[in-house]
Amino acid sequence: MIQAKNIYLSYDDNKYIIKKGNFSIRPKEFIFIGGNSGSGKSTLLKSFYGEIPLKHGSLKIDNQEVFGIRGKKLRVLRKDIGIIFQDYKLVNEFTIEENIMIPLKINGYSNEVSKDQANKLLKHVKLSHRAGYYPNELSGGEQQRVAVARALAHNPKIIIADEPTGNLDDYSAEVVWNLLKGANEQLGITIVVVTHRVPKNLGIKFRQLSLEDGIIYEVS
Amino acid sequence: MKFLKNIFAFFIPLLAMLITFSIYLLIDNVVDSYKQKISSDYSIVIITNTPLIKDNINELAGIRVDKIQTLQKDKIINNIKSNLSRTSIDLLKRKLPHFYQIYLDSFPTSTQLAKIKDTLLQNKNIRKVEVFSKDHNQVYLLLVLLNSISFILFFIITIFAIIIIAKQIKLWFHEHNTKIAILRLHGASILYSASSVLNYAIISSLFAFIFASAFLYYISNNITVLFPVELYDIINVHIDINFALVKIFVLSFCISIFTIIGVLLRYKIQND
Repeated sequence: MIQAKNIYLSYDDNKYIIKKGNFSIRPKEFIFIGGNSGSGKSTLLKSFYGEIPLKHGSLKIDNQEVFGIRGKKLRVLRKDIGIIFQDYKLVNEFTIEENIMIPLKINGYSNEVSKDQANKLLKHVKLSHRAGYYPNELSGGEQQRVAVARALAHNPKIIIADEPTGNLDDYSAEVVWNLLKGANEQLGITIVVVTHRVPKNLGIKFRQLSLEDGIIYEVS
Repeated sequence: MKFLKNIFAFFIPLLAMLITFSIYLLIDNVVDSYKQKISSDYSIVIITNTPLIKDNINELAGIRVDKIQTLQKDKIINNIKSNLSRTSIDLLKRKLPHFYQIYLDSFPTSTQLAKIKDTLLQNKNIRKVEVFSKDHNQVYLLLVLLNSISFILFFIITIFAIIIIAKQIKLWFHEHNTKIAILRLHGASILYSASSVLNYAIISSLFAFIFASAFLYYISNNITVLFPVELYDIINVHIDINFALVKIFVLSFCISIFTIIGVLLRYKIQND
């Protein structure tokens, strides 16, 4: 699903944040990427959806080379990925139902189909009663559940989550982990989560990668 | 209310530009009507040694030659033929030069007429040039000046309008930056991501077009608001309102769309 060969990432040419990155993620895997603050976890994740361009190496997502990707190819790649951010990144001008409809509309689904799917997902994340609410009318935990629903909406092959529970209380965090676990187990979606705190008792088989001084290690 | 406030900064410069364009169209129409009215108030007659070919004289003093009409010699001969023998008449017919009257595409000023005369006399085939004209010079020149001023004004306002419109679009982009970024992260095209900005621009353009059309319609039916009543005594001002509205519509949307494309391209280059 994801294959990285000798990848280098940096914001400028002077200092590499990721050096000689080599790893592979198989389909339907649940992966945690850990490491200290500033170790480059989020940067690595951003490179998966082309937000940070690769300096060297090869990164393939579902057989699509990400190195040098731009324009239409980048848009197609992003359409196949579900993304969850620590700060939710919901559109404040849209209701939560409309927020969930975003990837569906971008993928060309009709308004009716998108609305139906959004309502199913709102039910799944137990927020049906708030369909017409705007993001700033919801709690952080509820907003992150909307973000998870949005990431699942178009049935992506892979979901990338950057510290999805970083701003949440324990109860909300558990709800989010359960949603991601369900997506992996029931829908077979590959999940890649960046976090500095791997949840205990997740109840699912997962693999862990760690970042230290720009080097990616496999945690046994 | 918030929506109206949002489109105000786009709508006002666009409307100012369209109203200036409407005024320019009106003045242009007045000048054209006046030109038509005085178009027959001049005459250029030339006498040539050999028959004249129209293709050789296409333009005079920058004005297109509309037609060259041959003046029949028979009239001249008829006036004097009672005193001449048949042989003399035949000889005269052969020896008489050729007479032509030149019609131009638009009314020439006195300076242009003088220039036309000089140009024609440089042609060795032309023996004589006679120019007759009524003096419309002052009124005509004033109208042409007014037309030029209104066009220059329209041009300057258009430049300022485009600058203000571009700034407003950038401001909208800034306001919707988060939304655009989120949509782009989900694989949306720049056009889709910026659809709210495009909607603002299209609605503003539509409003500006409606207001400018209403202005033109009112002015064309009440021309004395812009021009003195006496104008009706001199010329018959008739405006093809439908064609003028099409021009205003095209201008309104072209300016908006081209400015948006410019800003979008810049945004795309900076963010891709």
